[in-house]
Amino acid sequence: MIAASAARRRRASAIVSQAWWSASVAALGLTVVILAAIFGFVGVRGAGGLSVKLFTTVTSGIAGGLANAIAGTLLLVAIGLAIAAILGIGTAMWVVEFAPPWAARTVRFTIDVLAGVPSIVVGYFLYVALVEGLGWGFSLIAGALALAILVLPYVERSADVALSGVPRDLREGSVALGARPAVTIFKIDVPYALPGILTGMLVAIGIGLGETAPLIYTAGWSNYMPSLAPIHSPVGYLTYVVWTFISQPFAASHRLAYAAALLLMIFVFVTNLLARSFVEYRLGHHRGR
Amino acid sequence: MKKLSALTFACAIALASAGTALASVRLLETGSTLLYPLMNLWVVAYQRDHHDVQITTQGTGSGTGISQAIAGVAQIGASDAYMSDGQMRVTPMLNIPLAISAQQINYNLPGLNGVHLRLSGPVLAGIYGGRIGYWDDPHIKAMNHGVRLPHQPIVPIHRADGSGDTFIFTQYLSKSTPWWNHGPAYGTTISWPNVSTAVGAMGNPGMVQTCKATPYSLAYIGVSFLTQTNEAHLGYAALQNSAGQFVLPTTTTIGADARALENRTPGDERLSLIFAPGKESYPIINYEYAIIKPHQPDAATAKALRAFLNWAIDARGGQQMRFLDAVHFLPLPANVVRLSRQQINKVH
Amino acid sequence: MLTGAAAFVSSFLIVAMLLGLFVYAYPAIRFNGLGFFTSIVWNIGNQYGSGATVTHNGYSAEPGASFGGLVFIAGTLLTSVLAMIIAVPFSILVALAIVYRLPAKVKPLANAVVELMAGVPSVVYGLWGMVVVVPFIGSVVAPFAHDHLGIIPFLGGATESGNGLLAATIILAIMVATTRDSLQAQSKSIYEASLALGSTTWQAVTRAVLPSVRGGLGASILLSFGRALGETMAVLMICGSAINTLPNTIFSPVNTIAAVIVSQLESALTDASGMAQHSLGELALALFLITLLVNGVARVILRGAPHAGVIG
Repeated sequence: MIAASAARRRRASAIVSQAWWSASVAALGLTVVILAAIFGFVGVRGAGGLSVKLFTTVTSGIAGGLANAIAGTLLLVAIGLAIAAILGIGTAMWVVEFAPPWAARTVRFTIDVLAGVPSIVVGYFLYVALVEGLGWGFSLIAGALALAILVLPYVERSADVALSGVPRDLREGSVALGARPAVTIFKIDVPYALPGILTGMLVAIGIGLGETAPLIYTAGWSNYMPSLAPIHSPVGYLTYVVWTFISQPFAASHRLAYAAALLLMIFVFVTNLLARSFVEYRLGHHRGR
Repeated sequence: MKKLSALTFACAIALASAGTALASVRLLETGSTLLYPLMNLWVVAYQRDHHDVQITTQGTGSGTGISQAIAGVAQIGASDAYMSDGQMRVTPMLNIPLAISAQQINYNLPGLNGVHLRLSGPVLAGIYGGRIGYWDDPHIKAMNHGVRLPHQPIVPIHRADGSGDTFIFTQYLSKSTPWWNHGPAYGTTISWPNVSTAVGAMGNPGMVQTCKATPYSLAYIGVSFLTQTNEAHLGYAALQNSAGQFVLPTTTTIGADARALENRTPGDERLSLIFAPGKESYPIINYEYAIIKPHQPDAATAKALRAFLNWAIDARGGQQMRFLDAVHFLPLPANVVRLSRQQINKVH
Repeated sequence: MLTGAAAFVSSFLIVAMLLGLFVYAYPAIRFNGLGFFTSIVWNIGNQYGSGATVTHNGYSAEPGASFGGLVFIAGTLLTSVLAMIIAVPFSILVALAIVYRLPAKVKPLANAVVELMAGVPSVVYGLWGMVVVVPFIGSVVAPFAHDHLGIIPFLGGATESGNGLLAATIILAIMVATTRDSLQAQSKSIYEASLALGSTTWQAVTRAVLPSVRGGLGASILLSFGRALGETMAVLMICGSAINTLPNTIFSPVNTIAAVIVSQLESALTDASGMAQHSLGELALALFLITLLVNGVARVILRGAPHAGVIG
């Protein structure tokens, strides 16, 4: 009797378990469908606007190409991400390895709060402080700084989580062997935490590529190729094209807007592929597999 | 990761240096999204034979245009509305009309979009003010004999962002309806009366989109979106002017309004064209302004600014119909061109 | 100690912004008083009229001006909470499927999907929401809810539910990615030990693995909630931009702090008294405080969670 009821219970839990797993796989399926829907939406409308000219000519009025916006987007994101990476990963290392508990708590708290600041507030703040206040005008540096501040929480938090996940025994082993803290960090922690850090960077690239409002107030917009002057020179970027050109009363500008949206998504896709294969390579390399 | 950013960086630099044109003066135009399409047509044409200047255009909204022109971040601030007395007291700027625009009242009434309904300022104020709730309200019926209006709640759509369109629409309501003038009044953003069916939309495309998607809705949309509203099969209304006549927005009626006020335009050109006198005049039209700082940082910038603005208001330059027709704008009357030139020449 | 410097700069940025914002918003704090939290009337005043200016506590604004923030504060909380209710369980399910159910060969593909989703620009989500999601809710979901659940008819072209759904989609990717990482960082031994004790695979996950990564989960929830609170462009494009009116169903137009700052900044810049700009600053400050509060509460709830190093 007892054995039979236990068996029944086990069967029941097996069914429940199976049901939940089905739900979980269905949720994953739905996620794929949503992404496919968005990609299809942008792909169908954007594909018509793709051409060689798009990459070689600058925007003129509401038509022309997107060379200026592509170059500007890459520049802004690259510089912004570099700043965020230095600040974010450095912060995470300090918090995980060196900081006294109260300081770690405080820093993490401030970073979580930063994640909730709307992008327009960062943009407007920098507009008042740098563009107007310091008289930089619309500029590469102001735009890159805005992006850096916006993606910093994502970089820091994922680096933080990843570094905290490094097994204690590995790290203590290294210290026991007499390695200096810096050596431990770079030989043990960073390689181990790299996938996590990278996830944060990828999320950051995605967010950076997709920001609109803060750049309007910091980078401005330019129909011309970005000059590399850090200040006094506005920079064009793709999201401006999506946001503004979709509002123009011309079919040509709508084509450009959807093409820009498609390009942004392709950029994210390519960056992900590159970074993923880089991690796989590093992991294989490092662990001797 | 570092390698990756280094790579993209290098690519960007290569692209950038390949495309950098050498120009002595850079001008930045920012502001009105209504003027933005025309500005883009102008700048492209102007740059074809003026290589000594680089002009960048931005559609950011009239308020931004004014404030960035004041801050000196942009040289040309584009605005659908002239600056208020309060603003002029704080920072005097030149308000220079560049073209004339108009606004249509659109609606989505299934089966009736081919009919031009007749609407008046007080009726529109009633709808946006929550006093007229249904399409078959006696006030609407009274001016539309023979039209079978449905008993459906009206969905008034207004702009959610600050907008010159809201400015001229609410100014029409204020000038035609005393209670509106003493209540919500007019501005680029106003405190809309609490109407349970009302919806906000972003930009003119949002207005077209929302009106199209919402049966029994009503919207005010810039005339530059005429092609879009026609494609969406929205109806547009004949509006009652100050002489009591119902007129459709046409070249003739918009021009009649502009001519009626041509000689009343003051030296600083800050004038409302809304609800002008004349039997033929369409009631909602406005000047599109360039907001300019009279004193520029250097002589070269001032010179380039004067040259471009003078070209923009010239009959052989920016006022050619091939530019204006694309956005359904009208050229400035001769007297206004003269006043604008006087103001442009004050830029130094 | 370079890392310490980085941490200092990172935290300093936030403190500087907070202080800067406070100074910027101070005239509005004095002018608006408590009415900021209780009033639903947002009116920058009659810029072109000639009435008497409004003065409170020595600060004045144009005639008729009133800056009530209740609509935007309530809308922000509603949207974010709705988004979290949808996104949290959903993304945990998705992350579990990726980590425990997918064959090793398909895993990179699923990872790519998730990271790609996080990379879709907010304006693209907004565009998609405006053209696809909102009309769908308007023509299918809301009428169904009206007929079968008996709530007030849907009228506008944009909704609170669309808002919540879209915000949920946007934070979904971030939540899945970070949740997946904390699951993967957890060694397999807990899962296997639980199985050895006779649990089903699902029980092993819910009773052993998930509790053991509570800290990481908490961090990713906080990060996503922050993102939902501050999400701007997508929400702006579909929220219906309610002003002077509170939502009465989940299908009513709403507005959020982030969205209203973008949509009203432009008009605020025309306010000669400057009070509209200061009041938008006060709204931004209010959002700051909401985020502070959410983080504080979460910290109390998660206190003592394993993996606590992550959540502090």
